[in-house]
Order: sequence, then structure tokens, then C-alpha cells
Amino acid sequence: MSVKKRLERLTGETRPVKKPSNREKEISELRRRIDIIMTRRPEPRLSPPAQFRGEQVELQAVVRGEEVENACGRFYLARDVVNASSYHGSRRIDELSSLDMEKTAILANEPELTGCRPTEGLFLDTETTGLAGGTGTMAFLVGIGWFEGEAFITEQLFARDFSEERAALAYLSDRAKEKRFLITFNGKSFDVGLLSARFIMNRLPDPLSGLPHLDLLHPSRRLLGHRLENSRLGTIEREVLGLRRDGDIPGSEIPQRYFDWLRQRDGRLVGDIFEHNRLDVVSMATLTVHLAGLLRHDAERDDVCHEDILASARLLLDRGYGEEAHLFLASLLSSKSGGVASEAGRILSLFHKRSSNWEEAVGIWENMLAENDCDIFAVEEMAKFCEHRAGDCNRALKLVENILENANYLTFTEREDLVYRLNRLKRRTEK
Amino acid sequence: MARLTMQELLSRMKKNRRFMENVTALRQLPSDQGTFAPFPDWVRPEIVSILGKRGIDRLYSHQSYAMESIREGHDVVLVTPTASGKTLCYNLPVLQRILEEPETRALYMFPTKALAQDQMHEVHGLIGDLKANIKTYTYDGDTPADARQAIRKQGHVVVTNPDMLHTGILPHHTKWQKLFTNLRYVVIDELHVYRGVFGSHLTNVIRRLVRICRFYGCDPVFICCSATVANPKEHAERLLERPVELIDKSGAPTASKTFILYNPPIVNRELGIRQSALTPSRNLAADLIANDIQTIVFTTSRLNVEVLTKYLKDKFSRKKPKDDQFVTGYRGGYLPNLRRQVEKGLRNREVMGVVSTNALELGVDIGDLEACIMTGYPGSIASTWQQAGRAGRRQGHSLAILISRSSPMDQFIVENPDYFFSSSPEHCRVNPDNLLILLHHLKSAAFELPFERGEKFGDENIEELLDYLEEKGILHRVDDRWHWAAESYPADEVSLRSINPENVVVVDTTDTGNHQVIAEVDWDSAFTSVHDDAIYMMESQQYHVDHLDLERKKAYVRKVDVDYYTDAMTYTNVRVIDSFETKHQGNLIAEHGEVQVVRKVVGYKKIKFYTSENLGYGEVNLPEKDMHTTSYWFTIPKDLLSKLSYTQAEIIDGLAGLAYSLHHLAAITLMADIRDIDRSIGDKSGEWFVRHGRDKRIITTGSDSEYNGGEIRRDAFDPTIFIFDAYPGGIGFSDLLYKEHEGLLRSAAKLIGSCPCSHGCPSCVGPILEVGVMAKEVALAILRLVGKA
Repeated sequence: MSVKKRLERLTGETRPVKKPSNREKEISELRRRIDIIMTRRPEPRLSPPAQFRGEQVELQAVVRGEEVENACGRFYLARDVVNASSYHGSRRIDELSSLDMEKTAILANEPELTGCRPTEGLFLDTETTGLAGGTGTMAFLVGIGWFEGEAFITEQLFARDFSEERAALAYLSDRAKEKRFLITFNGKSFDVGLLSARFIMNRLPDPLSGLPHLDLLHPSRRLLGHRLENSRLGTIEREVLGLRRDGDIPGSEIPQRYFDWLRQRDGRLVGDIFEHNRLDVVSMATLTVHLAGLLRHDAERDDVCHEDILASARLLLDRGYGEEAHLFLASLLSSKSGGVASEAGRILSLFHKRSSNWEEAVGIWENMLAENDCDIFAVEEMAKFCEHRAGDCNRALKLVENILENANYLTFTEREDLVYRLNRLKRRTEK
Repeated sequence: MARLTMQELLSRMKKNRRFMENVTALRQLPSDQGTFAPFPDWVRPEIVSILGKRGIDRLYSHQSYAMESIREGHDVVLVTPTASGKTLCYNLPVLQRILEEPETRALYMFPTKALAQDQMHEVHGLIGDLKANIKTYTYDGDTPADARQAIRKQGHVVVTNPDMLHTGILPHHTKWQKLFTNLRYVVIDELHVYRGVFGSHLTNVIRRLVRICRFYGCDPVFICCSATVANPKEHAERLLERPVELIDKSGAPTASKTFILYNPPIVNRELGIRQSALTPSRNLAADLIANDIQTIVFTTSRLNVEVLTKYLKDKFSRKKPKDDQFVTGYRGGYLPNLRRQVEKGLRNREVMGVVSTNALELGVDIGDLEACIMTGYPGSIASTWQQAGRAGRRQGHSLAILISRSSPMDQFIVENPDYFFSSSPEHCRVNPDNLLILLHHLKSAAFELPFERGEKFGDENIEELLDYLEEKGILHRVDDRWHWAAESYPADEVSLRSINPENVVVVDTTDTGNHQVIAEVDWDSAFTSVHDDAIYMMESQQYHVDHLDLERKKAYVRKVDVDYYTDAMTYTNVRVIDSFETKHQGNLIAEHGEVQVVRKVVGYKKIKFYTSENLGYGEVNLPEKDMHTTSYWFTIPKDLLSKLSYTQAEIIDGLAGLAYSLHHLAAITLMADIRDIDRSIGDKSGEWFVRHGRDKRIITTGSDSEYNGGEIRRDAFDPTIFIFDAYPGGIGFSDLLYKEHEGLLRSAAKLIGSCPCSHGCPSCVGPILEVGVMAKEVALAILRLVGKA
């Protein structure tokens, strides 16, 4: 008996259809459950969704492109030029080519990017057969992009079948060798690792892992996270870049569409995926420019919200760009915009304090106290300064006494600390 | 009171008539000087020197032999007793190679995380002494995410378990490029653990490992260690699917040992109930420890560990109130720190008594103890020797006592000392080509690397299976290669250890506002224990099952206080599909082959506590469970049975009793859990079978004739006893049982014949309430009839 027959007998798949009694129904119900237990997921559907029924459409007719042949075989390449004068969301493409590399290096936390030109960057985004990771997940479509003159070029490398992956990877390798750094969105934990595995599986050297890499996800979270419900590229496009996509294919449907394509070879199945991927790549370019722009100080700017500036200042401080951060914070402080201004003051004063710039620091604290003499931060910092630096224990004592008397929102530990300080100051002033 | 030495204590025991009455065997195992050999000349002087500092200035003969063999690139399986220095056999060649070629990588595999930890510490110790830049790591589910990358790249020796290899390493092999490119040695310890379902999975994991190694161009040497079983070489070769050299002549010296088999006295002859094994166990342990004899007590459950520990702690803390460590427990579930503390305490004799589950059976280093008490048969002879090996590892006289419980396995072992003490009757069996198991691993393997046409993966024609998976849309073929074409991660879909990972949770709804999960029941037993209207008992509290929701896998129960419990009535119908082999032995026909098994819970009985009065019946409407598997069976011609002067019902009871004891004895031969195999009585056509009726066993034709009696028609069929594999597709048990057919019947005759109970008991033919008062007598009569008793 064939192996398949035996297997079917074990799983009870081909059972002669007798009178469908209740018992049979129970059994087939149980089998369905066992099947679910065994596969954990419903079986992939074998026929494509309804909108793709009817006459088959060639890939060429849906996605403009051509077959490329190299030493490793063939694959399908779609190339597109986004003109200088066209818009992507609220930005003109030619704005993009003036990307500030110094700021890009800060975003990536890769100092060597400073020495690169914007045209030497390779934007990259993949569409894969799943999100599970591991060696069984393949990137069937690799979208890449770069600046060329004032335009932005995208290329999409499509493996029309598993057998075309090697040729596509070899092509990607050649492109990567022309560039000096990599820009992705979540590429550090997904795309690049996945492609590395694919290079190993195809016995090709991995050109990507060694490149300096700006993963936009991390700076996006830091700079924009405060006003986004999540950090997905689509959300950022909508909320920040002013781009709205119509009829975009949900990411979760992409793997199954590709599996359908493998069987049906109908270009309509993958058309949406190409467009989705192309937009992702262009959006990454826009986003890079946007984020780098946030780090550029321009006092005249009124298009950037104060929270973004504050987030930028924090990032700059963390990366050791104190002077730049200083400018941001100072302008926020003078903007008098409520919470953001006082937070900026707080950060700025601590920055001054750390660099022993006491005059500046005290100036900020005094301003804060003038506005609210029960500002716990300002009181504590000022009291410390008076006691340890200025030798003015009386002033410190007054500040502490005042807040303990008048503030009614102190937490238990805050109050404890203040009382402790108060007692010490009393002892010192009594001496 | 003066303390007695071990010898004095033993001679006192031998003079104690009441004790000796229950001893079924007392054997003196002689000491052995050991055979030694020098270090091979290729061993680096620094290794010789650090071993010298540990008191090892020469090798046991088997160590030296194994090292040479490994060095020459042979795959080996080592079968030598506990404490014969097995780990050095592989650690030395591995470290030597890494010193010579620092890129060398080795993969160590242990069945449990605890053992892996212990081995890592041992290798760490050696490396520390060598002051060499060699890195050893454990890689398992507990390994922190941020450490994993470094381990993949830098670990020379990676210590892991098969489950992690299956789900974490192989499907991500590209991240392990460095390891797989340089892998020279694969060590698989405790090989005998990999049998049945687990072993069948492991063979497939090894097939996948070898496939990945081939991709990276390496061909590692496999080094296996196993406890003593009947077929170590065959088993290793079946697991690794390559020739393996057997090394089983131990050169390690052994101390003399007294080994006692102890069968607690019968307290109720009618029901065949014996004194609990815990009673003599705690008395003996207390006696030994009081005489300053360091003792380990093994029990078969975590609960018993706690019970015995409490008793012994109470006894000794009166004298030494501050010394809480003097007697202690040890089991899975204790925190690692506490475990390490106990292990250390045992080594430096601060802990004089330890009560443990089998957690301490395997290689964890606890030094040399003097006495070992096994409270209940550990389930296999190999385990028994391993546990006994915990006492008396090198010198002096030691003691091992096995105290039996009432189960047929325990009783057979203590009542048949020769069976126990002569060469091992236990076979490890696997069936890696079980289609369901094979299919799971074929999916995982395709996920790891595409399959090429003509590629081998076990003995089956995999091309058909690949085509099948392609049809299902899981694989996609292009140019004679099958690629993984699904979103899922197949290794997560199957557990190597359990048959069915599904559970049913038991939800207590007594407090309407506050539903609580109180237990989990595995899928198969849910049908019999938490069906609608069952009484579910937990920690002496009764719960009524209001509803079993199979779809959501929940059983809703509420607390009740009733004077009865429920006992599910099931039927199992076995139909022969294909007979692989047949033999006539005496007037019986024995066969093995493929069968279809249909099981259904049809109803339940309400049984009153204490009086066991039958209070009524209920129906249960659950789906049938249907599977194909392999079975061994034998048929007794009806003409032969008609010579017996018993009623038909009595004969059926006798057959049921015989099947009960054969079921348990088969589990011994197979080193299997009693639930890994199952039994049924019927005829070969599957037309007639025996099931529980309202009052007695009946022969029926199906479930439809529910409670209207079903006729007894013994004349219509030749009764057949089936012992079948509980795993769909079979795990390779049945052909072995077929070969052992004669021996099984002889053992059954011994077990039933020598059982001192009056009418049958759980130790021989099963509880009287289940099999009836005539079962024992009739079973023996049947065995006489077929010439076995």
C-alpha cells in the first residue's frame, strides 16, 4: 500500500462515504479537531480569493518590469523613478536629497555615517512568506531605493518562485556593494537577519550585515512615540508624513497571496504587494529626512510641535550632543509652553549643573520658583545648591519650610526626604 | 547508644525473622578490583596533569578503549554502570580536540535541563583547571535572550536538550553557522531514555541534525551513553541509523553490595492489599540514618517525597533541632539554589539522609552514599540499577533495598528475583517511521532546508509524503526541490515528549462570581474522568461535572457532597486490518499486525463509598475515538475453552484477568509506561468484543445495543486478547511482544500462580470488583489449558 494511503488511513482522510449517521458526523468532527491539533493552524486555502477569479493576467501587465538574468539565474525586476517634482505625502521628493548626514549619523548612532553622502545609502524593505522567522521564511520581494540626483530610485527584486531567490540575492549583493550604509524600518530585528539567513542558505556571502545601519524604528519611537498609538510605519505615514494609502493590502495577507501566486501565476495576486512595498521604501526615505530635520535646530520653525523638540533634545543629550540639545531646550524654555517648557527647564538645568555651569542652572531654578515656589524639583535643587555650594543654609531652610507648609500634593517619600533635609538644615543653622 | 556499622546492621537484619519473612531475595554482589590502562599517548600533558590533581592518574580500561575509538572517529555507545567515569570518556577527547584545533565545536544533549546544568558545571571545572580559553554554555529554554547570540558564535561545547535542538536550534541553523561548520562531536547521554514516542521523535531530530551538518559540510562523531538494557547496540543503531560500536566491559572497580528485594506483608488477603511501601521505607531509613549511615530514599511521587521527608525530619529534629539539613527532600520543583545546597551537603556529609524522586537517579554528582532505599519499583530494571548505584560508588560495603508496592509490575519483580538479577530483559523500542511522527519531522526538515528529489529521510519513500504535503499546500515544488511554503513554524506544532499536548481544564463554578481553574486533565482521560455528570475528586473534595465542553476544552464542575463516586463504562473494539506474522504455539495462534481501535465511553456507574453498592447508571454521549495502530494478539480456540467447566461469564472474567496481567508484564518488557499500551478482548473480525455491561462483562456487537443486555454468545467467536500500541500508527512495540509471546504467558502464569491473594487482586488479575471473584481461578485454568501453568 502506498505511504500516502497509509497516512490517510491514520488520519482518516479518505473514508468511504457511507450513510452520514450522527456517529459519522461526530467522528469527522473529531478528525477536524485532531487535524487542528496536529497543524495548529487552519489549512491554507487552495483557491485564491474571489476578486482574482476569471481570466489569468500576466505579471508584466500588472507590474511593469523585466526579467533579469545573471550568473545565478533569473528573477523579475521592477524599477521606478520618483521624480524630483513629485510629492510623497506632504513632502516634495527633491527636498529629500538634501538629507543631513550628520543628523542621520546621530539617528543611527553610527558616527561613520558622517563621512557618507546621502546617495550612498541603500533603503531596504522585504516582503516575506511569514513572520515566524527561522530558515523556512523567505523574502520573496526585496524593495530597495536610493537617491540619484534629485530623484529617488526604487527597484523591486521579485523571486517568481523559490528557484529565483538566488539570482535575486546575487543582484541585491551587487547593489549593496555600490552603497556604504543601510536604512530600514525594523530591519535590525527582522529584514537584515532574515536576508543573512537566505544568503547562507544560498551559499552566497552576506553583503548586508557588515554595513552601518540606520534602523528607523528606534529613532521613530524616541522622537515620535509620544504622539503615536503605535510605531508602525503606516501609522507614522498617516500621523506624521501626511500620506494616506488607498486600498493598501494588509501585511497579514501578503504571505498567502504569494502562496496563491506560486500556484496560479496570476499577476493580479501580487500587484498590490509591489505597490505596498514600493510605498514603504519611499516612505522610509521621507521619514529619514523628517527625523533628521527634527534634529536640526531652527528657531524660526513653527511647523514642529514642542513635544517633538523636547524628544529630539533628549535624544541629542543621550548621544552626547549637549550643545545642540541646549539650543533646543533654551528655545523651549523661552516658549513658555506649559509642561514642555518646565520639563525643558528641568533637563536644561541638570545639564548645566552637570557641567558646573551654576549661574545658568540657578537662573532656571529661580525662574521656576518665581513661577511656583512649591515646585518640588526647583525647591530641592535650589536647596541643595544653597546648602552645599552657596553656603546659604538659611535660604535653603526657608525654601524647604515653605514647601512643607504650603504644598498639599507631596508624596510620602517626598515629604520624608524634605523633613530629613529640614532637620539637617535646622541643625546646621542653629550651630 | 553505640552506633552500628553497616556490617553489624546487616547481620542484625538477617537475624530478624519478621523482617526476613518479607525478603524475597538477598544477594551479595561481589566487589571488583577493576582493570586499568594508562592515558593514550596523544593526550596532552596539561590534561593528564589536571586529572592527576583530581586523583585520576590512570584510566579504567573501558575509558581508554572508548577514547581511542572516539579519537579514530568511530560512533560509540557506552554501557557501563553508574559512577564508572562515562563522562570523562567523551570530555577528554572533546577537550583534547579543542586544544588542538580551537575552532572545534561539540554538542552535548541531555534529556533534562538539570542534567545539562550538572554536565556544564563538570566541563567548566575541567576547563577552569586547564586555564584554557574554552567556552561551555547550556542552551535551553532558560537561556536569557541576550546571551544567546554569544553562545551561538563562541560556545565550543553547547549543552542542550533534544526539545531545544528541535524547536530552537535546527530551525535557526543559519544563526549557528559557526557551530555547524565546525561540529566534530555529538554526545547523547542517557540514550535509554529515548524510547517509545520520545525515541521515535529523537531519531527524526537526529536525521534533521545530520541533514543540516551535511549542508555545512561536517560529519560529527556520535558518542552515546546508556544504562544497561537488553539491546543497547541495536537501540543506538536504530536511533542514529548508522553502525555503532558497543563498549560495555567496565573496567571500573566496584564495591561489594547487599541487594535486598522486600515485599511488604499482606494486610488484607481478601482484597490482596499489602502494607504500604512507605512504612518499611521510613523505618529502615530512620534506622540507617540513626547509625550514621548516609542514605538516599527514592520514591515514585513528589507527594511521597514530602511525606517521608516530614516523617524523618520530625524524627531527627528532636535530637538536632537546629540542623535542618540533616535530613532533606529533593525533587523537581525545588529551586536550583536549594538543589545545589543539598547536593553539596550530600558530598560533605552534612546531609545524612535525602528523600528524592528520580530527579537524583541520573548523573547529578552527589558523592558516594552508603545505602539506598527504593520505595516502589522505579518502573524499569535499568532505573532500579541506576538508583541502587547511588549507594557505594567506589569502596566499602553498601546496601540497596527495593520495597515493592501492590502493582503487578512491582510484584512480578520482587517475586521473580532471577528475572531481575540476570541479564536485562528490557528492550528499548522506537519506530521513527511512524507516519504521523515522520510527517511532523518531514515538515520541520523542509522548513530547515528544501528537499531534493532522491533525498533520503529514513526508510519510507518520502517522495510520496512530500507530494502529499504539496497537495496540502504546505510545500511547493519547483525543479525537483520541495520548499517550505507556509507561514507557520512547524517545530512548534509537536512536542517530542507527549502524545497529545491537549488538556482539558477543570473549572470550579461553585462560586458563581469567581470561577476557578482547579486542575488539568489530559485529553484522553478527560473522556472517562470528567464526562457530564461524573463525580470528579480532588484532594478528597467531590465535584459534580455539570458540563464537559470539548470544543473549549473545559469541564465545568461544582462542589458537592455525595456518598458515591462514578466509574466510566467504556468499550474498546479492535478490528484486525492486516496481519504481518502468524505462529501457532501449542494450541494458540499468535499474531501481530495493524489494527483499528475504536473506543467510546458509553455510560457510567454510580458506586457507593465503602459498600461499593451499585446505585445506578447514566448515559454519556461523547464521540468515539478511532485510531489505527499496531497490535500483538493471540487467539484461544473456542473448542478448547469449552473444555472448561465454568460459565461463559466466568470464562470472560478469566480472560479479562489474564489480559490485565499480560498488559502489565508487556510494559516491563517494553520499558513502557502502562498507558503506552492498552488491551482489549474480542475476536479478530472486530464483530464481537467484550465490554462492561451493567452487571458483568458481556459480548456484544457494538454500542447500539446499549443496556438491553447484549447476548452472551461465546460459541460465536474465538476469544482473542489484544495488547496494542496506544499511539496512532504504533511505536514498534507489537513485533517485540509477538516474539516474546511464550515468555509473556509463562510470566503471567508465575505472576498469577504465586500471588498469595485468595481470589485475585490488583497485583495479579486486577481488583475483584472489576474482574469478578472467579477471574484468578479461571485465568489459571486457561493458562493450564494452553500448557503454560
